[in-house]
Amino acid sequence: MGSYRLRAQVAQGLALSVVLLAFLIVLFPYLWLFLTSFKPPALLSRPEVVRFTPTLVHWREVLGSDFPRYLGNSVIVGVVTVLIALLAGAPAAYAFSRFRVGGDRARFGVLIAQMVPPTVLIVPLFLLMYHLRLLDTLIAVIAAHLTFILPLVTWFLIGFFDEVPRDLEEQAMVDGCTHWQAFYRVVVPVIRPGIAAAALFAFVLSWNEVFFALLLTGGDSKTLPVAIAGYWTFRGIEMGKMSVAIVVAIVPVLVASFFIQRHLVKGLGGGAVKF
Amino acid sequence: MSELYRSSTNTSSGEGQASRWGLSFPYRLVAPLAFLLIAVLIYPLLFSFWVSLHDYTLTRLNDVRFVGIGNYARLLRNADYWVAMRNTLTFVILAVSLEFLLGFGLALLLHRALPFRDVFRSVLLTPMFITPIAVGLMFRFLLNSQLGIIPYLIRSLTGRSVDWFGPELALYSIVLIDVWQWTPFMLLLLLAGLESLPREPFEAARVDGASGWQMIRHITLPLMRPIILAAIIIRMLDAFKVFEYVYAITRGGPGSRTEVIQYHIYRVGFRFFRMGEAAAMAYTLVLITLLLTIVLVYTLRKEAR
Repeated sequence: MGSYRLRAQVAQGLALSVVLLAFLIVLFPYLWLFLTSFKPPALLSRPEVVRFTPTLVHWREVLGSDFPRYLGNSVIVGVVTVLIALLAGAPAAYAFSRFRVGGDRARFGVLIAQMVPPTVLIVPLFLLMYHLRLLDTLIAVIAAHLTFILPLVTWFLIGFFDEVPRDLEEQAMVDGCTHWQAFYRVVVPVIRPGIAAAALFAFVLSWNEVFFALLLTGGDSKTLPVAIAGYWTFRGIEMGKMSVAIVVAIVPVLVASFFIQRHLVKGLGGGAVKF
Repeated sequence: MSELYRSSTNTSSGEGQASRWGLSFPYRLVAPLAFLLIAVLIYPLLFSFWVSLHDYTLTRLNDVRFVGIGNYARLLRNADYWVAMRNTLTFVILAVSLEFLLGFGLALLLHRALPFRDVFRSVLLTPMFITPIAVGLMFRFLLNSQLGIIPYLIRSLTGRSVDWFGPELALYSIVLIDVWQWTPFMLLLLLAGLESLPREPFEAARVDGASGWQMIRHITLPLMRPIILAAIIIRMLDAFKVFEYVYAITRGGPGSRTEVIQYHIYRVGFRFFRMGEAAAMAYTLVLITLLLTIVLVYTLRKEAR
C-alpha cells in the first residue's frame, strides 16, 4: 500500500510539473511583451537586460498617435457586426432548433458556411466594394466579417436553443402570448448566458480578423490588427511601440476569454455534439 | 405537444399561418439570416466562380475574357501553386498532429485532480483568443536572431546560434507558432470530451486491475473517437487558412519556403491583380474544405446518434 501511494504521488508530481511547464510556455510571451512595452529604447536591442527603470515613452507615443482611432474602428466594426449577427442569427437559430426548418441540411449548411475560405470571398467582396465606392470604409469590413460571424453566431445558438424545454413557450402561449412574444419574452431570457457568450466570442473573432481588414481598409479606416501589422519593420524603437500595441489589443480579449470559455464547447458543438 | 402547436395557429402569428408575405412563422424567423447570407456569402461565392472562369485582371477591367476552365487547367502546370500547396500540406499535417498529441496529453493531465486546476486550464486556453497577427509579430520578435530572447538563451546555453526564420527552419518555426496558439483549441475540445465520458467502464476496468495505459488505449480512445476526429478536422480546416503568421513574419520567404496557399492567393490576386487565377486557386481550396467538412458532418452525425 505504501509503494502504491508513493507511485501515485510521483505520478501526481510529474503531471503537475508538465502542466506547470505548459503554463509557463503560455505565459512567457505575454510577460515578455509586457516587460518590453516599458523598456527604455536604448535597451531594446539587448534581450538579456530584464532589470531596468520602466519608461512610459512607448505608451505615450502609441496612445498619442492614430492608434486609438484604429482601436475605435475595431470596436465599431465588432459591435455592429455582432448586433446584426444576433438580430438575424438568434431567430434563425430558434427556427432551426424548434421547427427544424430545412432539416439537417440547413443545420449543416450553417456549419459549412463558417468554413468558406476568406480567399474565395475576398475577390468578389473587393470588386463589389470598389464598385459601390465603399473600399476603405468600415461598412466594407462589417460586410466581410458578417460572412463568418453570421453562420458562427447562428450555429452557436442552435445548441443553446436545443436545451430549452418546449413547455416554457407552450405555457406562455397558453397564457395568451403569440409565438413571437413567447420567443423573445420567455425563450431568449432563458438562454441569455449563451447569447452573451456567442456575442463575446463573435466580437473577439471580429476584433482579431486581419485578412479582410487588410485588403478592404486603409488610412483612417484601418482596424486594430491592420495597425498592428504595420509594425512590421523592426527598426530600433518600433519594437517598444509594437509591444504596446499588442498589449492593448490582447488584454481585453484575454479578459473576455475567461467569460467565453465556459460556454464555448456547447456553442461550438452547435447542437450536433453532445458533450 | 404537436397538437398544441397546431391549435396555436389561431393566434396572430401562429406558425402554420402564412403571413402577408406568404411565409409561415418559422420561415419568417429564418428570412433575415437567409437574406443576409445570400448578400454577403452566396452571391460572392457565385461571383467568385464566375471570375475564376475569366481572364480577369484588375488593371484591365475593360478587357475581361471568358476562358472556361483555362485558369484551372493552367494551375496543373503552375509550379508556384504546387509549391504553395506542398508547403501548406506540410504545415497542416505537422501542426495538427503536434497540436493533437500535446492537446490530448494535456487534457489527460488536466482531467486529474490537480491543485489550481481551473487556473491552469483558464490560462492554458488563452492563446486561441488572441489575434494571430499579434502572435506572429510576438514570436518574430522573441525568435529574432539579434533581438530575441530565445536565440540569446540558446546561444548562451549551447554556444550555437539558430536562425529560426532561415531557409531550413522557417516553415517549422511557423508550425511551432501555430502549435503555441492552437493546441489550446484541442485541449478545450478533448478535455470537454473526457469530462463527458461515462464512469462505469473505467471503474470496471480498475476492479479488473487494468493499468493507466491500458485504460487509455482500450477505453478512453475508442470512446473519444468521434470527438477526436471532429477536433482534428476542425483544426485542419482552420490550418489550411494559415496566413497571418506568414504575413507577419516571413512574407513567404526565404525564397518560397513559407509561401502557403492563402498567402500565395493573396499575392496573385492583390499584388499582381490576376483575380481570375486567384479565384481559381481559391476554388481548389474550397473543394478541399468541402471534402473535409463532409467528413466532419458525417462524424458529428454519428456522434449525435
